[in-house]
Amino acid sequence: MSTPHRRVATRAATPRPPLTIVQPDTDTREMIRVLTCGSVDDGKSTLIGRLLWDASDLFEDQRETLRKSPRRVLDGTHLDYSLLVDGLLAEREQGITIDIAWRYFDTADRRFVIIDSPGHTQYTRNMASGASHADVAVMLIDARHGIKSQTRRHAALLDLFGVRRVILAVNKMDLVGFSEARFREIEIELKTLTWRFHFADAVAIPVAAVTGDNVAAKSKSMPWYNGPTLLDQLGRGHTTPRTADESFRMPVQTALRDGQDFRGLAGTISSGKIAVGDEIIDAVSGHSARVARIATMDGDLRTARRGQAIALVLDRDIDVSRGTILSSRANAPTPARQLETRLIWLSERPFDANAHYLLRTVTDLVPLSKVAINDLLDLETLAHTPADGCTVNDIASATLTLGRATAIDTFTDQPATGAFVLVDPITGATVAGGVVILASHVATTQTVNTTGATFRLTREQLERGVCADLVGKPGSEAEFDRRARAVADLLRAARIDVEF
Amino acid sequence: MTAPLSHLDLLEAESIHIFRELAAEFRKPVLMYSIGKDSTVLLHLARKAFWPAKLPFPLLHVDTTWKFREMIQFRDDTVRTLGLDLIVHTNADGIARGIDPISHSPSVYTDVMKTQGLKQALDKHGFDAAIGGARRDEEASRAKERVFSFRAAGHRWDPRHQRPEMWNLLNGRLGAGESARIFPLSNWTEKDVWRYIARERLAVVPLYFAADRPTIERNGQLLVLDDHRLTPKPGEHGTTRRVRFRTLGCYPLTAAVASDAATIDAVVAETLAATTSERVGRLIDHDSAGAMEKKKQDGYF
Ligand SMILES: Nc1nc2c(ncn2[C@@H]2O[C@H](COP(=O)(O)OP(=O)(O)O)[C@@H](O)[C@H]2O)c(=O)[nH]1
Repeated sequence: MSTPHRRVATRAATPRPPLTIVQPDTDTREMIRVLTCGSVDDGKSTLIGRLLWDASDLFEDQRETLRKSPRRVLDGTHLDYSLLVDGLLAEREQGITIDIAWRYFDTADRRFVIIDSPGHTQYTRNMASGASHADVAVMLIDARHGIKSQTRRHAALLDLFGVRRVILAVNKMDLVGFSEARFREIEIELKTLTWRFHFADAVAIPVAAVTGDNVAAKSKSMPWYNGPTLLDQLGRGHTTPRTADESFRMPVQTALRDGQDFRGLAGTISSGKIAVGDEIIDAVSGHSARVARIATMDGDLRTARRGQAIALVLDRDIDVSRGTILSSRANAPTPARQLETRLIWLSERPFDANAHYLLRTVTDLVPLSKVAINDLLDLETLAHTPADGCTVNDIASATLTLGRATAIDTFTDQPATGAFVLVDPITGATVAGGVVILASHVATTQTVNTTGATFRLTREQLERGVCADLVGKPGSEAEFDRRARAVADLLRAARIDVEF
Repeated sequence: MTAPLSHLDLLEAESIHIFRELAAEFRKPVLMYSIGKDSTVLLHLARKAFWPAKLPFPLLHVDTTWKFREMIQFRDDTVRTLGLDLIVHTNADGIARGIDPISHSPSVYTDVMKTQGLKQALDKHGFDAAIGGARRDEEASRAKERVFSFRAAGHRWDPRHQRPEMWNLLNGRLGAGESARIFPLSNWTEKDVWRYIARERLAVVPLYFAADRPTIERNGQLLVLDDHRLTPKPGEHGTTRRVRFRTLGCYPLTAAVASDAATIDAVVAETLAATTSERVGRLIDHDSAGAMEKKKQDGYF
């Protein structure tokens, strides 16, 4: 970086955090994805805005816009940092946040991704989606009100969808006179709340978003508090750095060919590591092979690990395609025919026992021969109520019977290959998202495959019936294709093998 | 102990994963190639995702006929060097109606030449998924985009009914009349894009680097005079200034910034120290509050 350059805009009026210019090749900053959740008016927008203001590489024009804004809070003494977190027009009209927003910022040694999710009960599904992407969650409460039912619901959701670290930001401490006693009370409430969950850590931090106390800088008004600031605690990263001995998983996305003799199985390693010469197996077929090459456009690798997108060339041709999970022989995924799951219903359309939902795993799409809802979970009391249906925002236990075997893990062992969504075969909509609690080889309620023969679905059959209206119509290819696939899926769900 | 993967490594792997998913899930995808830095990164990641196979989709450039000449040159060189399959589409009806960015408002011009042009091209070729280089850090309505973003018939975007996305499970199944927009760079920032261009030593359009160029100042913005169609108005003076671009589009609508950053390292350094967001240079976004959101609802990328 020897070339001199001139700064174009005027220098910032307030000092910004020092930004080191990181050499691209040594830029190994960790990426931490943070979910923020809270009820309306607890101060979530203000807190995120304040964090951006104090700790991030926010642009000067954004800072300037905020300084110029006539809006002030706390009797006109402070900027309204929540303005940095603006939403959709559709949301501003309604005055509420309805969807997750993604924000990115760098500090000197971290890359943060803030996943901002709405807190209302009716947006539980958005929170669940947000939780599925997060490493750590910040639950926000108002110090005056303490932990409410909303927070209990949020904690249960975070636990269910795999967030292992939570921070309870006890906001508006200024409004309770920065009282230690009040904070300690809430800290105990938090312990009572979280003991039954699986969080690796759950800490409470007393903050005041507007004044920035304990957000990025230690509070002078709360000398009794010796713990980390919110930013420190977020930056602690992943407390469970997964160990070198975690077992290998690579879901196969596609097979790559160069038109000659190259055949590489492309995918992203979701767990563990692999080296040239290692044995891998396909748990469903039982076939195994050794890794001959780990190929990338930048050259072959000798080893690769979780997070890398690669192509594996095997030493012999085994019948492997999209949907297969390649794994180590020890601790392989289950070739499952039946799953016990916990899911959240995402669709506005309630569960329909006759809808022939499809199971989408990381790279496989499997027809389900049966979906049985067993009970609903009350997020607040954690009590189960027997049920046989569910609707939007419900959390249910469900038993899924698969039309054919697919490789799958339990979510707590292997989050990436132990999660799924359910897809409506007709509309394509994602109707539910869930985690696998238990995977078994055999379905307890076996239905019989009638003929065992493969059914050939042809263009002619479709043109005579279901696609008659599309014959000779230009540009109808996509719709034709969609219907063909929908018919095939229905047949497969009825356990008839289809080719088309 | 192996070092942790850098955040650029992770972003790269995530984008490659998205490319491989979309190629498996959609019947006829197309990569929207707009020649700028984001398209350059997008194309490079696509090549990595499918190497050593050829790209399983063509590139589409919706040409408004108002791109900088250096952009078109760069596009054609790239396509030739890498042996790519490029479709160029121009809204002939818009040209016939004389819609241009000088005598029409940015919103009318963008709607006709970009949004309508894009819809025509997608419909004409029957593409069911269009891959774009948009990033969530660009603008408020983009911050709520999905990676696989669905459009109802007529390419309309409804921010209230977006398909939920959980974990890294990308459901690409289309309903009747639906098509998809795919954003493999969703989680990248402008800084990441430049850091990656430097790391991978990618060639970009020379307009990103500072040089002496003929300019005029209009509405407080610096415009570069690229050909005879844009000329100084009475009272405006053409001046040679040392400028570069942070973002590239149609030249009468894209403002340059004064800069001495003439090499990739200097551009990276300037970007990391930048004090204004890049869209300041895009005149189309300044029209009104929520401008981008409205354009997206009408089918803009
Ligand atoms: N006194 C005080 N007020 C706060 C604090 N944080 C937020 N507020 C105020 O609480 C109200 C709601 O904040 P906002 O960030 O919009 O809440 P959101 O609905 O959770 O995003 C606003 O009037 C804020 O100014 C704080 O730490 N102290």
